Order: sequence, then C-alpha cells, then structure tokens
Amino acid sequence: MAGIEELSPAAGPVETRPPEGEIDEDEELDETILERLWGLTEMFPDTLRSAAEVTASGSVTVAKKLYSFSRAALWVGTTSFMILVLPVVFETERLQLEQQQLQQQRQILLGPNAGMSGGMPGLMPPAPVKM
Amino acid sequence: MGSVLAASSPPPPGSGVVQGAPGLVSAPPGFSMPSVPPPSVPGQPAGETGSPLPNPGTYEECHRKCKEVFPIQMEGVRLVVNKGLSNHFQVSHTVTLSTLAESGYRFGATYVGTQQTGPAESFPVMVGDMDNTGSLNAQVIHQLTSAVRSKIAIQTQQHKFVNWQCDMEYRGDDFTSAVTLGNPDVLLGSGIIVAHYLQSISPALALGGELVYHRRPGEEGAVTSLMGRYTGNNYVATLTLGGAGAHATYYHRANDQLQLGVEFEGSMRTQETAVSFGYQLDLPKANLLFKGSVDSNWVVGAVLEKKLLPLPLSLALGAFLNQKKNKFQCGFNVTVG
Repeated sequence: MAGIEELSPAAGPVETRPPEGEIDEDEELDETILERLWGLTEMFPDTLRSAAEVTASGSVTVAKKLYSFSRAALWVGTTSFMILVLPVVFETERLQLEQQQLQQQRQILLGPNAGMSGGMPGLMPPAPVKM
Repeated sequence: MGSVLAASSPPPPGSGVVQGAPGLVSAPPGFSMPSVPPPSVPGQPAGETGSPLPNPGTYEECHRKCKEVFPIQMEGVRLVVNKGLSNHFQVSHTVTLSTLAESGYRFGATYVGTQQTGPAESFPVMVGDMDNTGSLNAQVIHQLTSAVRSKIAIQTQQHKFVNWQCDMEYRGDDFTSAVTLGNPDVLLGSGIIVAHYLQSISPALALGGELVYHRRPGEEGAVTSLMGRYTGNNYVATLTLGGAGAHATYYHRANDQLQLGVEFEGSMRTQETAVSFGYQLDLPKANLLFKGSVDSNWVVGAVLEKKLLPLPLSLALGAFLNQKKNKFQCGFNVTVG
C-alpha cells in the first residue's frame, strides 16, 4: 500500500522503482491459473516438496501396477477356474438334479400308494362264498 | 473280455525315439508292462518270525502311481474303436485328426496267451500297432519261468528301425532286478545297457539303483541313480537322485474319490526345476473321471472323462492352457468299446 501512495500524482519522480514485494499485474497476464497455483507451492521447503513429489509419482506407479496386476490376475484366475473346477461343478449339479428328479418321481409313484394302503385297510375284495 | 489285457491308448506318432539319455528304459509310450501282483505265499500270516518282505515291484512303476494322477495333453480329435474278437484277441482302430501333428489311422492288435499266472494275467502277451504310413510298434512279453519275465519291443518309423530293445526281469522274494539292452548294434559297436535293482528294506521302504551305460563308436558313458520309495497308509513318496538330476513324487489318496499328486523335477542338463500339482476326482455315480494339474511353468490343464452309458462309449475332453505364453490346446477323444 505504501507503494501505491507513492505513485499518486502528488508523489515524487516517475523513475521511482516499486518495492520488491509488489506484483505488477500487467507484466504477467499470460500466466494460467494452474501455473499460478503451482507457483504457490514454492513457498514450501525443498525437502517437503521433493518428498511430496516422490510420494505422488510413487503412488501413481503403484496404482498403475495394481491395475495391470489385477487385470492379469482376474484373467488367470477366471481361465484356471474354468479349466480346473467348472466341469466338475457342472457334472455334480447335473447329478444332483437327476437324483432329485428320480426322488420326486419315486415319491409321486409310491407316495400316493403308501397313503392309500395306509388309509384304507379294508380295501380287500370280499372272498366270494357261494353256497 | 475274460482275461484279455486291454492295450492302453496307442502311442503318439513319432515319439519315444531313444536318445543316449538315461531313463529311456521305459517301453515306447503307450505300452506298459502289465502289473504283476507281488508273489505272496498263501496261508502264511505276516506276523511270523522273519515275515517275508513283499516284492517291491519294478523300478519303473515307482513313480507311476503319482504320474497317473496327472492329465495328459490332448490335441485334436481321436476316435478309438476297441473290439474283442475272443477271450485272447483284441483289435483296435484309431483315427487321429490333428492340427499340429499329422492325421492318420492306426491299427492295433493284442494277443494274450493261455499260460495263466494270476487272476488277471496271462502270458505271452503280444501287442502290435501299425500306422497308415507303415510305422510299427510291437511288443512281446513272456513269462519264462515263475520269476523271470522278458520283453522284446520294436519300434519303426516307416521302414527304418528306430528302437529295438530286449529286457529281462527277475523277481525275487523281496527284490526285483532287471536288465535292458537297448538298440544293440553289433556291427557299429553301439548300444545301451540299463540295469535296475530294487530291494525291499522294510514293508514300507524300498531302495534301488539304476545304472545306464551307453556306447557309441568313439564315446561311451555311464550314468547312475539311486531311488528310494516309502509307502505309507494312504500315500507313496518316491525320490530319485542321479547324475541326470532329481525327481521326487508324492502321491496321496485323500478319500475314495480324490487322489493328489505332487511332482518335483530338477534336471542337471537343462538346469531347470519344475513343480507340478495334480489331482484326480473319481465320481463313479456320475460316470465321471476328472484330472487337473497346475504347474510351476504357469501351465493349467484338465481332462474330463465321461462314460456315456448305456452305450459303451467314453468321451474325454482335454484342455491345456499356458498362461505365460498364452497358448491354448484342447482336444477330445471318443472311445467305443
């Protein structure tokens, strides 16, 4: 603020240089917002900046490797499961279904029979006694 | 079929050529010596003083129990028709269609003789196989005396003799010894002699050794290896150590449906090691036999065999995938009869 006051018409000669802490907006208009934000990071100490950079690039590398590893692992796992386990699973399920069907059929066949013979004990035909 | 020994599936064409490498004793692939039950003395309980040690079997059979658990790599289509013409004679026709190897037709015949040594075995056994190109595989197995068995095997590629070997095996009470003479050529002075010896140390432990001597005009060499086999309640562990490398197998029978096998192989020649894990799942109720294997070379494979009753048909589907090289191979076999 002190510098602005000096540049007012009532101030001294035109050659007066502005103090060093001042930013002249007219000279750096072509700096993008990102570059300005990046410039803000220069306020942190060097060690912190390098540590942050290493961490960031390391985590990007790790993320890439993790992604490609999980892709390969998923493919290997799926194809190996398909070859090693799937046929047996299909066949055992088919066997179970067949056995269930057989059991159902047997129940339908023998179930009502068992019920009838149990519920109507006197269904024997009367022996004809002809005099 | 009575006591007819069915020949196992025909050998793949062109393979099994004998090189000067040790361990070539085994017959051309696809052929196997019929297993003989150990000669047990009937009526003698095992608890007697000096109870006899059991015969340990042959040297080649030690690793076989574990190897049988692993699936074989199938490629292309194969149709096998087995027909038994009588109690002693069986004929098989095989048509192979494949993309990698040559397609062809193979005719095989098996004759089992009348001299019966056990409930499931008769001698002599003559097995022969001829290809559509004229390659012949032939094997004659005969039991000369009650303890001596001999085998002669010949393999030709078209008209040229590739492999001819003669083998004699003596089964003692608690040991087995065998001598094999491979590709003897008197004119050239070349040949391979393999001697096996396997001794039962205890009812569970058997130790043995193998000596391979090969000779060609201008060079000769010998390789020895030692073998130990331990049989437990439901497992068999075998270790072979020799000049050619180490080979260890472990076979475990988890229950009557599941069998596991682990195999470790290290070779001095190629300086490579490999570990494989295999399992066999047997579901007779579903008429299913499933074998799967995982390898340290990133190879995953499985074979599914299903009996299509009521027809005497059997369908086998196989798939092998090499994850590292991203190569896949599949095939199926149909066996009739």
